[in-house]
Amino acid sequence: MTSLLALSPLILVCATAIVVMLTIAWRRHHELTATLTVVGLNLALVAQVVAWWQAPVSVTPLMTVDGLAVFGGVLILIATLACATLGHAYLEGAQGPREEYYLLLLCAAAGGLALVSSRHLAALFFGLELLSMPLYGMLAYTYRERGALEAGIKYMVLSAAASAFLLFGMALLYSRTGHLDFAGLGEALATAGGDGWLMAGMGMMLIGLGFKLSIVPFHLWTPDVYEGSPAPAATFLASASKVAVLLVLLRLLQSSPVQDAWLHSLLAVLAFVTMLVGNLLALTQNDLKRLLGYSSIAHFGYLLVALVVNDGLAAETAALYLVTYVLTTLGAFGVVTLLSSPYSGADASQLHHYRGLFWRRPYLTAVLTVMMLSLAGIPFTAGFIGKFYIVAVGVEASRWWLVGGVVAGSAIGLYYYLRVMVTLFLPEPGMQRRDATTDWAQRAGGVVVLGLAALVVVLGVYPAPMIDWVRFMVAG
Amino acid sequence: MEIAFYLSAVVAVLATLGVITGTHPVHALLYLIVSLIAVALVFFALGAPFAGALEVIVYAGAIMVLFVFVVMMLNLGESTAQQERAWLRPRTWLGPAVLSSVLLLVLLTSLIGADVGGRIHGDTLTAKAVGTLLFGPYLVVVELAAMLLLAALVAASHLGRSEAHDEAGAVRHVPGTRTADGRGRAASERATGDAASSKESER
Repeated sequence: MTSLLALSPLILVCATAIVVMLTIAWRRHHELTATLTVVGLNLALVAQVVAWWQAPVSVTPLMTVDGLAVFGGVLILIATLACATLGHAYLEGAQGPREEYYLLLLCAAAGGLALVSSRHLAALFFGLELLSMPLYGMLAYTYRERGALEAGIKYMVLSAAASAFLLFGMALLYSRTGHLDFAGLGEALATAGGDGWLMAGMGMMLIGLGFKLSIVPFHLWTPDVYEGSPAPAATFLASASKVAVLLVLLRLLQSSPVQDAWLHSLLAVLAFVTMLVGNLLALTQNDLKRLLGYSSIAHFGYLLVALVVNDGLAAETAALYLVTYVLTTLGAFGVVTLLSSPYSGADASQLHHYRGLFWRRPYLTAVLTVMMLSLAGIPFTAGFIGKFYIVAVGVEASRWWLVGGVVAGSAIGLYYYLRVMVTLFLPEPGMQRRDATTDWAQRAGGVVVLGLAALVVVLGVYPAPMIDWVRFMVAG
Repeated sequence: MEIAFYLSAVVAVLATLGVITGTHPVHALLYLIVSLIAVALVFFALGAPFAGALEVIVYAGAIMVLFVFVVMMLNLGESTAQQERAWLRPRTWLGPAVLSSVLLLVLLTSLIGADVGGRIHGDTLTAKAVGTLLFGPYLVVVELAAMLLLAALVAASHLGRSEAHDEAGAVRHVPGTRTADGRGRAASERATGDAASSKESER
């Protein structure tokens, strides 16, 4: 009974997927499907409280429900809720069947929930696949657009290759240690020392997970996939999917700390390169979704700093940074979604679509401005709190190179975030307008975006509740 | 049994190389079947007869179906007989045939050598043991796999939807202002789109 209660969010999300599927089979109705999805996700969010009462508890040898799992689950469910609402706004104007999107979204959310509570390589692999498989369908959802189809196929092929690496790495680890659970693996690794096969296994697993997080040598897919895919799917990919993978990597590194100096410095180098390359490549982008893709690469470079340090405040820092990153990303992509919604065809993501937006939709412009400031890490936004923690952790561990990388990356980042903001306020040119509907603020998608903007500002000014909550969940 | 294991493993690697270097789908499929059967034999040699049997039934069986589909799809032209002759050139079937005869040899020697229950080391893993594991500690993974299959099915059915059927069934909300990106669509796509819209106007 305890196990069932502890897993109740996951069970509820899966059950909602089944109910939604049966409803679609019975009757195709966009509003009904969206409502069912949102209700199910909200129930799962409430069930996280129930799961928290049971925590920490191990459910079968595969899963554990503890503070980190509940924290990740809440973040994933909130991101999924936002994606469902934005998806509703986006799909209203779309041609073709709309209901499958919610089904795929629910399946992917279930995968994310499984991933954050896994403590076994089998659960990790299945959670990761359950997260990725629906994403192939979501990224190529508007498959009449060539960009979307291209994005879906690119992600599918590369993701399959990354999964193969991950599996092979797991097989190598298993053959050397005889363990698949994180704890047993950690113990065996601590005693095994520097074994070539083990190192190869860990390296391959790092490649597999690094692909999902778009760490730099494995980042090439990110901008293309973000640009081509429909905005709500890209939102899910950038928020919930990355949160789940990062948290499982965090759990993996916590239970089996990297003993090997070589692998440790490899992680540090990856973090450094990821920050700089992500920011440098974003400089010349003229497409907001591509720019956000490169910016997400850079942000995961910052997050890797916390994983490299991996002691003291590191887990709390990573969790806190994830909260601010998710809120900001959801908001930024939300604005892109709202601008693209009333149109068929490719999304309105070119920067010139945003030229003079301030003169037409001042509040929407304000939202995007807040999100850009938060991504850049300007004080009085949530992004600043996250970046402050990253720098603090780096300084405390005397990782000067990494701190230098964070500072340099932020400085470069400021340029392209400000470029987007300047575009918003430029005088309107005489070109084709891509605009949100006039009543965008009264619709669910608009309300979500406004709420996110308010949250980003409030948490930037008064972050104490967020910090307390994160500390309580992750440390407790 | 070691020799059986290593021989089958070598065959599996060679056959898989044949798959990824083959430019013709049917040729590649021939090699793929050999590779799967070789892996099944590896499982038998390791003392996992249940996994080996599943490998043959599920993978080799499913690949056979795939084979039939490919043949059906590629075989629609009038040059069928010619193609068939081209496929049956010795160059095509010689490689897989040699590899599978090696496998047969391995199987026969281990059968004749009365080494039937043989394995490299460790316990024989029976179907019952696999079942107890799957529906005991690994139950969650079974359920996740079920969700995974559902998601794959939904994604495939959505993406594989035929355009004409789709447009007729859908409601067009907004006329839609196509941008430059929409213009690059293939002519055939446009043709089906037109057919669909004419069907729509008929209704």
